[in-house]
Amino acid sequence: MSPSPTDTLIDQLAADIRPVRPLRAPALRALMALAAIALVAGLAIALLGDVGELRRRYAGREALLALEMAAMLATGVLAIVAAFFLSIPGRSRRWIAAPVPPFVVWLLLSGLGCYDDFVRRNGVELQLGESMHCLLFILATSAVLAPLLIWRLARANPIDPLPVALLCALGVAAASAFVLQFFHSFAVTFIDLAVHLMAMLIVVGVIGLINRRALAPA
Amino acid sequence: MTAAGGDGQGDRWGDLLAAAQRGDPDAYRGFLDAILPFVRAIARRRCWSDDMAEDVIQDALLTIHRVRHTYQPGRPVEPWLAAIVARRSIDATRKRGRIGRQEVFNDAAYETFADPRANEPTGADASRTLARMTKGLPRGQKEAIELVKIKEMTLAEASLASGQSIASLKVNIHRAMKKLRLNRVKDPPE
Repeated sequence: MSPSPTDTLIDQLAADIRPVRPLRAPALRALMALAAIALVAGLAIALLGDVGELRRRYAGREALLALEMAAMLATGVLAIVAAFFLSIPGRSRRWIAAPVPPFVVWLLLSGLGCYDDFVRRNGVELQLGESMHCLLFILATSAVLAPLLIWRLARANPIDPLPVALLCALGVAAASAFVLQFFHSFAVTFIDLAVHLMAMLIVVGVIGLINRRALAPA
Repeated sequence: MTAAGGDGQGDRWGDLLAAAQRGDPDAYRGFLDAILPFVRAIARRRCWSDDMAEDVIQDALLTIHRVRHTYQPGRPVEPWLAAIVARRSIDATRKRGRIGRQEVFNDAAYETFADPRANEPTGADASRTLARMTKGLPRGQKEAIELVKIKEMTLAEASLASGQSIASLKVNIHRAMKKLRLNRVKDPPE
């Protein structure tokens, strides 16, 4: 009796075996990627950022600033860590939800900050023109950070690339928005918040599409 | 054997896979043989026909081969394996759903005449006609046709040779055949 196609395939796979180096733990790989991103972002902030302006802008509202930036950072970090976990088969699907709570907190605090600023300005909103700077900044920073993450995540050939791609994009967009805070010349307004969200959606959409292909197994 | 495998069994699979990662072909063969019932049990639970389950099993084995570096020695193998087989089952179900909605498979359409001898290509003209007909096909479709229909490889062999999944090969063959038939109508052979 001739062997079944599955048996033949097993024979071929066994004959094709080559040594491979197992990937390190996803948490460690995520930490290494985050360290690289922190290095790039830290350098950019140290060389080009304006921390004094950030302090002046949030004078009297330091707690709000600290919480908002912590939520932003947590969203980025958890999304990136989750992407690394989900890129490995068999890891908990619950990682998908990990960045959601800090993301919601970030949106609420940003909304609160916007409302506060709106009241201070007696209802006068900024024009869209100023917020376009934020849109371009988030897109440009994401374009720098995304290839690094895609390259690291693609090592795992994720079997389900879409959630990995979306989490990667959310992480990149949140990290970019965090860095943007050090380059902002004005307080966040409702228009600004909407533009931030639009920029993030663009980043998530574009990276999601590109990444899905880039991360798909051969 | 149970579908989930016992703890001792899982440990043994883990040891075999770790040895396979170091390039031990015997350990790898032992691993693939040992996991086959586990893989088959999951595939059969998720597929509506034995044929589809066998396709999923072969696709899952190819995926296991490609992502074997993602297994971390010392961790349980079963969740890693189950996730791969489940994913490939979902992919197969979606692909079949898409094809079923958009395309109609007519087995008899490949026959030009009822008499099988009438379908046989005629000598030297055959290769020239075939080359002309496949010229405009996308690379993946052309490769699928060449490996499966001309070189008569099995889908598993063609998948290994081309790097395309079994499901992709099937889709590519189906689409290529459709295009070839259309080309024949538009541009009949001399």
